Amino acid sequence: MTTLISFDIDGTLEVGDPPGCITLDMVRAAKASGCIIGSCSDRTVSNQQRIWETAGIAMEFTVLKHQLDAVKEQFPAEDYYHIGDTDLDRQYAERNGFHFLLPDVDVVQLWENGN
Amino acid sequence: MPKVIPVPDELSQPFWDAVNERRLVLQNCAACDKLQYPPQAACQVCGSADGLEWKEVEGKGHVATYIVIEDGRLNRRMPDQPYNLALVTLDQDPTVNFYSNLPGVPAYQAPVGAAVELTFEEVAPGQLIHEWRVAQ
Amino acid sequence: MTSSNNFQWRRDRDGLGVWEHRGKVAVVGYGHSPVDRRWDGVNLDTSLGAYTIMACEKAMEQAGVTIDQVDGIVCCDSHIAGGSGGSASNWAPRPYFDPPYDSEYGITLINAQWLINAMGFKNVRFAPTGVPTIGEMMGMASQAVGDGVCNTCLVIYPTGNLEGRYRRGGENADDFARGARQWTVPWGNHGGNDFINIFPHNQYCLKYGGEHDDLAPFVINQHKNGMLTLWGFNYNHGIEPISVEDYKTSRYILNPLRIWDCDRPVNASAAYLFTTAERAQDMKSQPVYVLNHSQHNFRFRTTQPDLDEVEMWTDRQAARMYEGAGLGPADVDIFNPYDGYSIMTQFFLEGFQWHGVKRGDAFAFYAGDISVKGPHPFFSSGGNLGNGRTRSAMYTDSIEQLRGTAGDRQVTVRAETALCAFTTPSSGGWLMLGKYQS
Repeated sequence: MTTLISFDIDGTLEVGDPPGCITLDMVRAAKASGCIIGSCSDRTVSNQQRIWETAGIAMEFTVLKHQLDAVKEQFPAEDYYHIGDTDLDRQYAERNGFHFLLPDVDVVQLWENGN
Repeated sequence: MPKVIPVPDELSQPFWDAVNERRLVLQNCAACDKLQYPPQAACQVCGSADGLEWKEVEGKGHVATYIVIEDGRLNRRMPDQPYNLALVTLDQDPTVNFYSNLPGVPAYQAPVGAAVELTFEEVAPGQLIHEWRVAQ
Repeated sequence: MTSSNNFQWRRDRDGLGVWEHRGKVAVVGYGHSPVDRRWDGVNLDTSLGAYTIMACEKAMEQAGVTIDQVDGIVCCDSHIAGGSGGSASNWAPRPYFDPPYDSEYGITLINAQWLINAMGFKNVRFAPTGVPTIGEMMGMASQAVGDGVCNTCLVIYPTGNLEGRYRRGGENADDFARGARQWTVPWGNHGGNDFINIFPHNQYCLKYGGEHDDLAPFVINQHKNGMLTLWGFNYNHGIEPISVEDYKTSRYILNPLRIWDCDRPVNASAAYLFTTAERAQDMKSQPVYVLNHSQHNFRFRTTQPDLDEVEMWTDRQAARMYEGAGLGPADVDIFNPYDGYSIMTQFFLEGFQWHGVKRGDAFAFYAGDISVKGPHPFFSSGGNLGNGRTRSAMYTDSIEQLRGTAGDRQVTVRAETALCAFTTPSSGGWLMLGKYQS
């Protein structure tokens, strides 16, 4: 079963502005577990790519916040998740058939539980 | 989601009372013969407060232009996004304009220049607002 | 303390003639704090209060002025999040800190009295309350110094931004629309200059035959100029210049308004020091002279201003400024209008006819060479779009250009006069500065 996880950056990842609670190690763990991972942010694509290059994490996609539809089209998966900190993240996620998760303790728990 | 509900005040109460009776009334200055909307305490042309009276207007207008709200800040309207916000000019006096969500028109497809006619929409029990729909 | 409820000082009418203090008032210093995206709510050294003190100290240091010599303080006690800022506006109900951070003042608000207490000013005799934004404050200080109400006046513009989303919460979370909002909010317009200007901008495109994305070269140039502004947000926070593709693929906020058309709220403070031209001769910095100031507050005739109104308003702003300065469009070397949203800037450019740009010409002008090293160095500051919403870049760049200290932003054309503003088409103020007194 393939799971795709899309990460917002600002307010969601530890490298965001403001920093969020999702660590880069959590992103690495998701990738290591076989998830399709990428980022979906208002930052320019080039800026997102630079973040991942610096972190040494190969992402399958780096898209703008309103482009989750293209991600779904490009990557077949059983489950689609978008983790973001704003109402807009929720809107785009739900509009495009992604499960929406806030970057909070419950999400961190998923990693700790090995899910 | 329903729209945000207007709260009438002393100045606007006659306007909203009329809307709730499915009528559009605007202030008109007897001295200037000039329509005024939104209501104000005095005529914005001559400054007179005494000459202001409520006048029912014909509910016909045109779409001047429009935008699509994709990332607005109103909690109550966020589930509606994206939605049209059109600028409608009143045929009787095109310097008077109104906002409209153009009910029935899909987002991004508002017909700029099209004729519209007055309609009303209930936003809370007993509270209507004035809206505009594309004329058939 | 003086109340500013008396607006007699304003130059806000048509036909006032040349300003009576033209060239007799000077700007002798400026200071900027660091520009952060937001205050972290923890470090008091980076609070709005601490940043404001820092900005004041820099402005005084630049001119060689001591605290005892300052006898005027014009400080705006509003903050950037505005009336609809909701949870982003106030620190309360969270507990306050030790003095001087034991109220909203110093954290989300700054006023003259807080500064007098916190910095120890002893000789302030002009400290108006209820002061409007920087667009008017610069004129207010100019007039006060010119009139002799004070001699050495600090203008301070703090722009606070707390953790939390700008304009989220507050009235925008309400199910009801009260007051003026009853005419706009039921249909989705929660207010702000994005809404006010996007409709006239659309009408502009229809009337003159352009497209929204014709703004791309202007927005991109603002970012480039911002990267040359050493104190600004973009330069200091690794904000990379955007490309045409970045702009054209960016998401919409109020379609056609894109995210890159909007400035970035920040936590920062700026200060400017005004004095008489006579006193300026004894100070250690190079003065620039105030040639005119002007304010405007045009009333909407109906729900939404249209293009005709906006063009009429900006025509009148230009006429007032040029008349009061005794100058015309061809005399203005540096032009720093306002760009809080990119969609309003063309109205100013065309109204003031800078470099001969007439109504409907702006997009073609943007498509040409508007770089700071070119023949038409439009908006050399980078404005808010290039530096964050400090609303002060326009003033600082103008001073620097006239002094010849703008560094990599220094224009290669003549730089002897500068027009700068924080304004919208309907309200705000302009300042005309000169390298020379006349």
